[in-house]
Parts: sequence; C-alpha cells; structure tokens
Amino acid sequence: MGKTLLQHTQSLCPVCLRRIDAAYVREGAEVFFCKTCPQHGAFRVLAWRQAAGLADFSAWQQGRVPAYPAHPATALRQGCPYDCGLCPEHGQHTCTGLIEVTQRCTLHCPVCYAAAGQGAAPADPSLAIIERQLQALFTASGACNVQLSGGEPTLRDDLPHIIALAKQQGLGLVQVNSNGLRLGTEQGYAARLKEAGLDSVYLQWDGTDDTIFQTMRGRPCLAWKQAALQACREARLGVVLVATVARGVNDHALGDLLRFAVAQGAVVRGLHLQPVASFGRFPWELANAPRLSLPDLMLALEEQSAGMVRAADFHAPSCEHSLCSFSAVYGRDGQGGLQGVVGAACCGTGGGQGAVLDNASGSRRSKAFIAAHWGSPAEKGAQGSASVQGAQAAMPLMDDLSRFVAQAGADRRFTLSAMAFQDALSFDIARVRGCCIHVVTEQGKLIPFCAYNLTSFEGIALYRGKEKR
Amino acid sequence: MSIEPEFSPDGGIWECARCHVPLVQQKVQAQYMHSAFDVILPRCPHCGLTLIPKSLAQGRMAEVEALLEDK
Repeated sequence: MGKTLLQHTQSLCPVCLRRIDAAYVREGAEVFFCKTCPQHGAFRVLAWRQAAGLADFSAWQQGRVPAYPAHPATALRQGCPYDCGLCPEHGQHTCTGLIEVTQRCTLHCPVCYAAAGQGAAPADPSLAIIERQLQALFTASGACNVQLSGGEPTLRDDLPHIIALAKQQGLGLVQVNSNGLRLGTEQGYAARLKEAGLDSVYLQWDGTDDTIFQTMRGRPCLAWKQAALQACREARLGVVLVATVARGVNDHALGDLLRFAVAQGAVVRGLHLQPVASFGRFPWELANAPRLSLPDLMLALEEQSAGMVRAADFHAPSCEHSLCSFSAVYGRDGQGGLQGVVGAACCGTGGGQGAVLDNASGSRRSKAFIAAHWGSPAEKGAQGSASVQGAQAAMPLMDDLSRFVAQAGADRRFTLSAMAFQDALSFDIARVRGCCIHVVTEQGKLIPFCAYNLTSFEGIALYRGKEKR
Repeated sequence: MSIEPEFSPDGGIWECARCHVPLVQQKVQAQYMHSAFDVILPRCPHCGLTLIPKSLAQGRMAEVEALLEDK
C-alpha cells in the first residue's frame, strides 16, 4: 500500500524518552504517527482515520499564531519538552489549571493516569502549598479556570476550604474532578461544596451499565454515581460527565451514554470523552492498547445516536492543538433530546480551512465558554444569579446583562466533546507546545497535562513525582 | 477589576427635563422578575431619572426579558 508523508514533527522515544524526529504518514484510509529511535527502533500508532463525512487530516488542522507566556517561569535549556514551567517557547496560554490536592483514592481503577490509590500515597499537600499553587496559577495565567484533581479530591475534608481559596484568588470556573462516591453517599456534601463556591463537577462516568464500570473501575459504580448526580442536581451544581473510552469496552455504548447525558437536563452541562491513553496505570501492553482515534469517536457517535448527532457537526478546537480534541454545541429540545448543532464548544468554528487562528484570542474565548457552559445552571432571583456572579471572573469584559444572556443561554445548550491525551507512542511535541491544560506543581510551575503524566514503556515519568517537596 | 461596558445615549446631548442638568453615566441597578443587574447608564445626578437607550432596550434588555420570561 502506498504511503504519503503528511507532516513532520518531533516526539520522544517511548523507551528512553530522548527527543527524536517523527512524522504523520498516510496509508490508505489511516494516518499513522511514526518515529524511529536510533537505539530502540521504529514505533508507530494510529493517529487519524479518513472516512466519508469526516474532515481530512490536513484540512482538520488550522494554522496558529502562538501565544507565548508573558512571564516564563523557566529558561530554555534542553528544549521542548524538558524545560516545562512554562518555558518561553510554549505556544498557548492556560485555559484550565489543574491542581492535584491529594494522591489518595477510594478506588483502585485498572485505568488511572495518576496511578492513584496504589500503595502508600504521599502526604496531601498542605493548605499553604495549595494556596501558593493557586496564587502561582493566577499570577501566570490570570482568571483562567481551575480543576481540583487527584487522586480523589473529596477525600480531603478541607476541600470546601480549598474551593473557597480558589474563588478568593479570582480564578474563573472552579471544578472538582471526582469519581462521585462521596457526593453520592454523604448527605448534604454536594450542597457544602456548592456553598463553598464550587461551579462544576467533572464526574467520571464511563457508561450506562455496570459491566462497563466493572471493567474500567474494577467494581459496579452506577448506583452511587446516580446518587451523586441527583445530589448535584439538588444542590444546583453543574456536572460534566466524563467517560474514558476503550475499544471493545465501551466504544459500542456511546449512543446510550449520550442519550442518558442529554436526558438529565441542564444539570448535565455536557458529555466529555477521553479515549484511553497509556500512562500511569493501565492493564494492557502499550503497543496493544485499545486505542480509538478522534475520528473513531466521531463516527461511533454518529452511528449510535440514531441521527441525534453527526460526525460533520464536530469542529477542531481553536484553543488547544487541532489534533487534541473535537467538540460541538447543541440546542436542547426541552424534552430530553437535542435539536441540532449550534456551534463548536470551546471557541467557535475557527474560520474554516486555511484560516490562521490567533492563540491568544482562542484562549480568551475558550475560558469564557467553559465558564459559562460547564458551570452551574442559572438560578433566577437575587443579584442576577449565582452563576452569573461565578462567571464574572472569566468574563470580565461583559456587563451583568450580557453575562446573564451567556449563562441562561448555556442552560439551553449541551456540549459534546472529546480530548485525546498523548502517551509515549503518540506524544507530539507540536501538540504539547500548543497545550492549554496545565498541571500546577507544588512549586508553582505549569506543566502541559500530557507532558506531566507521560511515562515511558518502563513506567519512568518525565515530570510526575520528580519535584522535591 | 471588571471593565463594564457603558450604554451611552443613542445620540445628541441629553438633559433631565425636570432638573435641567446633563445626564451622567452612572452605575444603575435594573431589576426585573426578582433579578437584579448592574449596568452603567445615563442618569440625572439630581433626581435619578434614568435613560434607557433604544439600543439597549431593543438588544440585551430584550434578550434578558425573553430568557427570564421563558419566552
């Protein structure tokens, strides 16, 4: 079969993590990411799939004007991705800063990028450290959104205090990444988080039946996850359902998951899919991972949704790198369904093929979009609404009336999105440089998410766990 | 830190018919159906009479009204 070289870039050897040249190569209807380490040999992994109704690999991607950090925290020494902090050459501002408030976890999922809940977890960072992280994030990135992650953040009894600190710091949307166990089992807990200022729960949710949870999470989870969702609904906390998607495990059940998510009404702001990447803990050999490309997900959603969504609805992002995600925004029909696509989540359609996008403005729009669409449902009454106030930090250039329109309009919309994380095989330095999701380390450095979590074939991390306390 | 857009009059110099003083741009709280919104509008510094520019009434304000009334 003929091969066509589409694009050069750089990557890392998945064994020794040295920087090597890489390329995207088309073979028939598939595009592979290929690279060769002089010491460890050749590697390749599926990156894209061509199909009718889907954008071509090259047409999907848009030119970008990089947005460099105003105040880089690290100097250029060894080059990308070894100088993260951010370094002066990083090409995108922070949309979401991620702070891991604990490494402890109630579950021990077979798939976990943080490899949490394994052995003795290190002591949780103190409140003073977390406060410094929040300050560092605000200093470097302004009123971006923040996700409190882990481990399982709800294991910290002082989580409401941390949420309040994030709000006081002036950050935009404050979100907690959770498995939902405490939210679903402790009476009044969701309301306490809401009262502390929480806007959104990033609720891990892989499917609509327990066989899927049994495989992905090692136990049935559906009952208490449904209780968690109900608790968030009662507390008027916005929820984004987040599914890890593995070939042969739940890629056949995406239509059911979409229908379930939409039928929950405005409490579920959107469904976010994460095709498996192999870092941290995973139960397969890296070379034989049950991978899915972004086009695989787009096609599966179209095939399984009985016309609710179409692959052609999805757009490339204009905040993060084009190959990292897709999204669409739909109007709700008011009867538990959708009534057609109204745009792209994140930052709009980006101007079409051949357009060159300005990363700085893409980042600003993305922050405001996420704050409005992934935040809590609007509440009528009192001073504007709670969520109008909550979105204020992320939308400072609007007055109250405009913020209300953006927020209330968001309740009538549903976001459907996916993000492809990179692992040792798929790690593309151009994608890392365009990353807008940055992990804040305990020393206040910002590391692109996939660089932070990357582990080699032998489990050696590039960044995670390397910083001394 | 918030830079709020100001809604200025649609044209010409406006003055208060009762107090005969020019209107000034001031922060005003607009209330409707138990919701309150801070906006900067032309207002009489003496009696508080507030002008709602046509562009605002037919634009953002109409959108908010429609959303609050579930239209």
